[in-house]
Amino acid sequence: MPAEPAAGPALVDVQGVTRRFGTFTAVDDASLVVHAGEIVGLLGANGAGKTTLIRMVLGLTPPTVGRILVFGEPPSRSGRRRLGYVPQSLGLYDDLSVRENLAFVAAVYGSPVPVPPDLADVADALVGTIGLGRQRRLAFAAALAHGPELLVLDEPTSGVDPLARTRLWDAVHEQAEAGVGVLVTTHYMSEAQQCDRLMLMSRGRCVATGSEADIVAGTTAVAVRTTRWQDAFVALDAAGLPVTLAGRAVRVAATPPDDVRAALLRAGLEAQVDQVRPTLEEAMTELDRVPA
Amino acid sequence: MRAMILKEFRELRRDRRTVAMLVVLPVLLLVVFGYAANFTIDSVATQVVGPGAEHAAAALPEPFDLQGTDPSAGADEAHRLLRDNEADVVVDTGTVPPTVYVDGSNLFVAQAAVAALGRLGDQVSTEVLFNPDLTTSWVMVPGLVGLILAFIGTIITSIGLVRERQTGTLEQLAVMPLRPSDVIVGKIAPYFILASLDMLVVTLLGVWIFDVPFVGNPVLFAAGAAGFLLVVLGFGVLISTASQTQGQAIQLAIMTLLPQILLSGFIFPLAAMPPGVRWIGYCLPLTYFIQLSQGIMLRGAGIDSLWPALVVLTGMAAVVFTAAVLRFRRDLAPARRRPHAHAPAPSGVAA
Repeated sequence: MPAEPAAGPALVDVQGVTRRFGTFTAVDDASLVVHAGEIVGLLGANGAGKTTLIRMVLGLTPPTVGRILVFGEPPSRSGRRRLGYVPQSLGLYDDLSVRENLAFVAAVYGSPVPVPPDLADVADALVGTIGLGRQRRLAFAAALAHGPELLVLDEPTSGVDPLARTRLWDAVHEQAEAGVGVLVTTHYMSEAQQCDRLMLMSRGRCVATGSEADIVAGTTAVAVRTTRWQDAFVALDAAGLPVTLAGRAVRVAATPPDDVRAALLRAGLEAQVDQVRPTLEEAMTELDRVPA
Repeated sequence: MRAMILKEFRELRRDRRTVAMLVVLPVLLLVVFGYAANFTIDSVATQVVGPGAEHAAAALPEPFDLQGTDPSAGADEAHRLLRDNEADVVVDTGTVPPTVYVDGSNLFVAQAAVAALGRLGDQVSTEVLFNPDLTTSWVMVPGLVGLILAFIGTIITSIGLVRERQTGTLEQLAVMPLRPSDVIVGKIAPYFILASLDMLVVTLLGVWIFDVPFVGNPVLFAAGAAGFLLVVLGFGVLISTASQTQGQAIQLAIMTLLPQILLSGFIFPLAAMPPGVRWIGYCLPLTYFIQLSQGIMLRGAGIDSLWPALVVLTGMAAVVFTAAVLRFRRDLAPARRRPHAHAPAPSGVAA
């Protein structure tokens, strides 16, 4: 099922990794490969295990079971010099200015970090006083400063307006084109198309991998067209089907068309029921039900 | 309203730190003010020297408690005994009338001794050494230096470390190509320097404003202060590794500071405490730092009499600081440990 790997060497190689916290299994038998020059997206709801998996790749949390190689060896200090990480919390010092934050990063990595032109006007402002979008921009600049070969981004666009989000993704693509491997988590399904490959996670398990098309391909969704769309929605919902409403279009995920027709008939509704290309959310609904 | 009260109790019950405060604080205060808070001295450690030592020793009135006699010794030995804290009072029978030397650096004992000697009238001549006017600030300032070191070392350090954890920057540091020792030293050294500067300023201000004497060896003083500082910095680091928020850190810090303030001899004299409570005092680092600072600043005592306090502080520093560094290191480099050993789950881990 996984798409053809990109041409570059494997930067991250996770095989059969499980992480338990007490009786809670945060990550269950996950495998993941990130090659140079590709963007791999970890998708899943909050609590799906994305951050724990990322923390294991970074060496911040040891796996309970399984093997993790970063640059061909277990996560190590020498490897850290070659990776850039932007945590969800950004890891910036609020009481230092933009310039001072970058100076600290520069001193740690031993390479100068100029203030990015789009942050020049706030170079001497305290980070805590600038907007979240610009803070993310700064964290991104700090992570890229030492020319990492692997970029790890945890929810890089959460809380960012659409324009800034587009700019951030442009910057990510720029890096990938330059040969940097990118591992990125997001819970926005709409950002999946930005990634070369996806890994869908749910309750710690990897439920699907591949491109968006690969993931959607094995799943079903139907569109219900009727003037009595409100009644149809109520009836299908009452029948326990995963029904969603997009405008006046009623859609049902993970259910064969005949089952939908039958449910509508029972409610005395007539409608046109067509199989359609599922959205990623709909695919997720179905994949989440089937044991991987 | 009942629901609100019930909810509050449920929350409190789960907050172990607050429960500890609710239990520990009243017990501590009860112990302190019930037993330890006693300014009344009923025993003054006394040595008698000079030709009439045996005779005078037999005639010692209350509250003087005979520790030993030395008929061959004179005024010099009397000074030495007090400087090295081997007695609170030394009677020299080589003069007429006998001279009674009192250690003024041990304020409450000295006050009790002077009052008792006053009742003897002209039978003796009294001389208070090291703090002739029995000035309170002379005795308080050396202790205050220790208290300030404890305050900065414990509260300020733990707050600074918890802030790093709370904002998620500690995680970022762990991912940077820094050695754990770089992070630990880089994080703790500023507080060590700040506390040292503060100590210097407070000591100098004490000397200038309150005319507190500094008759002893500054190097010995610095060595004792460094040992004490490592202990309290270690407390600060340990507290930070057990706290998720700055409020929790302050709560825990208060629980280490309060016993030190009350039971170290800083306020209430150790000599006036019952043995059980005094032993708590002997487990606290501030007790030893005060012995050192008062001994060095006021009496000019040297290493030959102060070494036990220095050894205890060094030992405490080694144990506490090592434990602190190991715990801190565990947060920075978890991958080095065996996979199953991971315990702390920083906020947001299971996302």
